[in-house]
Amino acid sequence: MRKRIRISTVLQYIALVLLSVFIISPFLWLLIMAISSSADLTTKPLRWIPAQVDFSSFKELFTLGANSRGEVFLYALRNSLTTAITAVFISMIAIIPAAWVFSRFPGRKNLVLSLAIFTFMLPPIAYCIPLYKMLVRFNLMDNSFSLAIVYCTIILPFCAWLIKESIDGIPYELEEAAIIDGAGLFHRIRDIVLPLLLPALGTVALMAVIMAWDEYFYALLFTNSKNSMTLPVVIANLASGRQSNYGLIAAGGVLASAPPIILGMVFQRALIKGLITGGVKE
Amino acid sequence: MIAVMGIVIGYPLFQTVLYSFTNADLLGIEAPSFVGFSNFTSAFSDRGFLQSLRISGIFGIAVVTAEVLIGTAVALLLNEPLRGTGIVRVLLILPWAVPTIVNAIMWRLIYNPEYGALNSLLYQLNFIDKYISWLSSADKALGAIIVADIWKNFSLVAMIVLASLQALPEPQVEAAKIDGANGWQRFVNITLPHIIPSLQVAMVLRIIEAVKVFDIIYVMTKGGPANKTRSASIFIYQEAFTNSRIGSGSAFAMIMVAFIIALILTYLRLLQKRGR
Repeated sequence: MRKRIRISTVLQYIALVLLSVFIISPFLWLLIMAISSSADLTTKPLRWIPAQVDFSSFKELFTLGANSRGEVFLYALRNSLTTAITAVFISMIAIIPAAWVFSRFPGRKNLVLSLAIFTFMLPPIAYCIPLYKMLVRFNLMDNSFSLAIVYCTIILPFCAWLIKESIDGIPYELEEAAIIDGAGLFHRIRDIVLPLLLPALGTVALMAVIMAWDEYFYALLFTNSKNSMTLPVVIANLASGRQSNYGLIAAGGVLASAPPIILGMVFQRALIKGLITGGVKE
Repeated sequence: MIAVMGIVIGYPLFQTVLYSFTNADLLGIEAPSFVGFSNFTSAFSDRGFLQSLRISGIFGIAVVTAEVLIGTAVALLLNEPLRGTGIVRVLLILPWAVPTIVNAIMWRLIYNPEYGALNSLLYQLNFIDKYISWLSSADKALGAIIVADIWKNFSLVAMIVLASLQALPEPQVEAAKIDGANGWQRFVNITLPHIIPSLQVAMVLRIIEAVKVFDIIYVMTKGGPANKTRSASIFIYQEAFTNSRIGSGSAFAMIMVAFIIALILTYLRLLQKRGR
């Protein structure tokens, strides 16, 4: 009996090691490529460990020269940040009262919520054409702010759903007490609901930022210069050239992944909790 | 907020429906005219479109099945009392956090026909005797993309299932042990029913994402070689923005929406049956 248990434990450890290798190796390779010289990356067969550590790719991406790759990259970094933060900020302001209504007055208004969640399931391709024409007509193409507004369409339904679940968890009696004390609607939300909601809001905002950071389709359609191109677009462009500098592409990829990876690892518990609340009571 | 949603989703959706009955072009050179259902009827005889729907379907089924199986297995493994699971749990967030585009490009570099890591690895281990161009061979490209997608997204399923496993009531498991249930029986009768709700959520999320797949394929192959990886979203994108035929593009998009709604309704129906 004891021997059988030991064999299964050994197998489990082997599986654990294989899993770790599976998770780490592709990204580790990206890291290695980012610090290899292009000579090392174009030998055949491959040199797995670079002859010397070469940070020139990172240096190039962080050098701000006119029309250089560095310029495009740094602008994209700025655009990604402003777009994501603007989109999440607008969504949060719009979402709190809406989620409160969804939670406190169920009934016909939940139809609106269902519709909102439903839009989450639709492919963006189904409404990007009119959006494109609208942005062209109002001269709003290639503009971080309009891209942020478009991102609200992805973020809003998702947030409405998660935040409504959290408001459901706040006892209505607390609000009733405030009504008796003569507090108005605005004060009730600001003084009672909002403080209790803060942790959930933080999680949702974090997830929304990562979603906006990740978005490619709309950014591809609606941006075309360094004024508003976001990181995913710039990185995809870097890689689509015929003469590719592999180290440079890898360095761009590493830099673009760093913020979500760091955020994800630091706030892992909160994120998973968010995923679960969004999930369980669907 | 309802107004905002109405403007940015409702109105465009309505417009798409309108466009789908016209022969509108992207730049509006000619005034669009009403063409009735002809866009829809021609869609069903358009081989490219039908093939793209099939590719989206194959992609969706393959990645969701694999991600659910691998994700659940990983969650079960990480729930065991082993040393080092804490570290691996933190690692698990890595694939999820890597942006989709970076993931696509990372795998493109790995699959590179001349200097890619995969070719070099397989060659040095003597599994292959000459380098393979993974993403430009018609029979391997889709599979290669599917592997890349699985790497990124199995972790989401694993995290959701793992969280639900940790909420598994311990006394139940203990009671079953005392009653003499073996590991497999405990899994089927206690663990599995407990994790199924969260597994379903993970599945719905993944199916929705997988069927409308665009970016990972677009960056890895742009739909090639020979359109063997052209998903429905890529096909419609090309129709509307490359060929600038937004009338028929909108019609294709509406059909795709109908396809997705049917998929979700079937799924919900199945769930209800099981619930009873």
